[in-house]
Amino acid sequence: MIDAQKNIVVTGIGVISPYGIGLSSLQAGMLAGQCCLKPATELYPGFAGTVAAVGALPSLAEGHRYSRTDRMAMAAARDAVADFDGPASDLRESGIVMASTVGGLSEIDAEISRGPAAWYRHGGLSRAASYSVSRVAASVGEHLGIEGPACAVSVACASGAMAIALAANLLLDEAAPMVLAGGSDALCLFTLSGFNSLQALDPEPCRPFDQNRKGLNIGEGAAVLVLETVARATRRGARILAVLRGWAMTNDASHPTAPHKDGLGLACCIQRAMEMAGCGIEEVGYVNAHGTGTPLNDIAETHAYESAFHGRSRPIPVSSTKSYFGHCLGAAGALEAAITITAMQAGALFPTLRLTDPIESSQVDWLRGELRRQPLPVAMSVSAGFGGSNAALVFGRPRA
Amino acid sequence: MNTTLPVLTGIGSVTPYGPLTGLIPPEFMEPLEPGVITAWTTPGVRRAFLVEPFRPAAIVPGLKTRRLDRLSAWALVASSLALQDAGFDLNLIDRSRVAVFFATGFGCVELTEAFFQSADTNGWAGTDPITFPETLHNAPASHVALFHDLRGPNVTLSSKNFAAESALLQAASLLRHGQADLAVVLAGDTLTQAVYEWYEAAHLLAPACFSNEPMPSAAGFIPGEGVVAMVLEPAGRQTARSYAALGAGCWAAGGDARSSVRKLLGDVRLDFVLCAGNGAPCAASPLTCSARDLVGEGTILPAQAVATGMGEAGALLHLLLALSKRPGHGQALLLGRSAHGGYAALRLELF
Repeated sequence: MIDAQKNIVVTGIGVISPYGIGLSSLQAGMLAGQCCLKPATELYPGFAGTVAAVGALPSLAEGHRYSRTDRMAMAAARDAVADFDGPASDLRESGIVMASTVGGLSEIDAEISRGPAAWYRHGGLSRAASYSVSRVAASVGEHLGIEGPACAVSVACASGAMAIALAANLLLDEAAPMVLAGGSDALCLFTLSGFNSLQALDPEPCRPFDQNRKGLNIGEGAAVLVLETVARATRRGARILAVLRGWAMTNDASHPTAPHKDGLGLACCIQRAMEMAGCGIEEVGYVNAHGTGTPLNDIAETHAYESAFHGRSRPIPVSSTKSYFGHCLGAAGALEAAITITAMQAGALFPTLRLTDPIESSQVDWLRGELRRQPLPVAMSVSAGFGGSNAALVFGRPRA
Repeated sequence: MNTTLPVLTGIGSVTPYGPLTGLIPPEFMEPLEPGVITAWTTPGVRRAFLVEPFRPAAIVPGLKTRRLDRLSAWALVASSLALQDAGFDLNLIDRSRVAVFFATGFGCVELTEAFFQSADTNGWAGTDPITFPETLHNAPASHVALFHDLRGPNVTLSSKNFAAESALLQAASLLRHGQADLAVVLAGDTLTQAVYEWYEAAHLLAPACFSNEPMPSAAGFIPGEGVVAMVLEPAGRQTARSYAALGAGCWAAGGDARSSVRKLLGDVRLDFVLCAGNGAPCAASPLTCSARDLVGEGTILPAQAVATGMGEAGALLHLLLALSKRPGHGQALLLGRSAHGGYAALRLELF
């Protein structure tokens, strides 16, 4: 367990989602059970699928050298620190850990492969400057005047949760007074085409954990959490939204793309996060699952919950909120961390939409149908990704 | 020796010096000249610090790299050599507590370009499903995990100018906080036509890229490629040979570098400053001046153009070169600075 003074707390949350700008729009949309997934047939010839897109982004008065992923990250970060009233030096010296898998890929055309030099001459030079995922973190820093340690994490779909875990470690190391941690990913032909080529997309709105699930839907968005130690937050009188009680990262080391069939790596990750949080299997009241809706992921994840929560007196409540606005890839873990905190704040367990025939499991309480209202002192957000990576975050409600 | 600090016990590399275990031998330490690019058609002579082709399975028996890009293949070779150098029997350790950190600027850019090519040729509806997962930045680190069955934290990161330093510091942090028992830290990039031509179009290249002009030059840099892997573990393993112990460190995108470095050093009197020239354009001489300005003492080992060519992933090669070259034991600082005011500093005790 972590030294009490070094307990990590969340004091700000910024969100750009298909529901709009801000945590309140995300919260309102999800509490209303609104689904943002829409059919998309015009993204490229031959594509017929379902996606969730973010509407107009706020004007940031910056030029074209920022990718859409960068701009969503900047907007979410600005939203996260909107209520910050601490010392300006704390913000300036803050760290930034941003996750992304797309980065500036969305700015690059396939024509680059015919001759990069010519493509650069015809306007591609500045667009390609945003290619590196490190730009996502650097853009946030440039936008908010933050000069502390900054890095981008790119670990496929576990990136967003890992960014939060690594940010927490930076705080334990006292590397920065606060850390802005999260993820951002834009809809992008490259990734849509890639997942489509793998036949991993459900052309209809996805059905995570359903026996008839057919795949995932891609979404876009960004979320940024402001993390700091409880000691610092208390000293400056900040409003504490949640306590990050534990975190863990593991790898399956079993297959380049598929998860371990029994979810062993993920189960180990969940157990280690609970161990760090100092909480037992009975204490966790809700798991916001990775739940992509792909056949392989959802069954492996179910096995992971059965293993990690084995011996619990009641089945563990689990849902996938990707059924609301798709899989936002590198941003998913951060957005789902924000949703988990929202669930704790509202005492509301979000159901998985369209879950009519769930995977059979006596140890998992599949949340479906109506929103469930109940106090939620401790909740967990779980992420996994290509390459076998797993991450788990345990959040607790702050003491009143 | 401070026994509480993580120590560096294994090194493996695939660089323009070739695939190597441990330090770079003295006979290789003459300043390296960039090679002529032949992998794609160039408008005239174009030069870079290139890794000569080799067969990975000839270095690491049993390694299968046919479907991988060079970055993943090099990561597998470098990590294998580093673990071999550290003298581990991996069967005797809990592999679920072995972390892998991979620092990269551009990730699997070779296969990303191949995927774009398949889209250009066949349309976005006809792209290659085999290639796509291998375009992800974390593919090399996940191959390392898969090959060695390393089931601990597996993190791929990128940081403008300081990815390798950041990976080293964050891996050491994981060990300190008991979140892993051992860490394999890798840093690297591959050079492709699209990357090289972007540097050229942005006027970032040194004159030596186009002719036989002498190096180094302050007016640009010479791109490079390769992967360096280092094994970090807590001090105390009886059979371990340690190259260095890692102390505190910091990195930042801006701010007062002098004050931060001074705070980091405290009362420590430096014997060596190992310069890590990050970012482009960057050259040895301005960085050496900046190191003297920041630190004020110790023998300065200037940045080497071959490692500067690897940009934000170059710090591990800078460290490897400095460890290979250093004239003795003592307290050292690995120091990197960017053209935009950023800095990274890591205290080391050299053995």
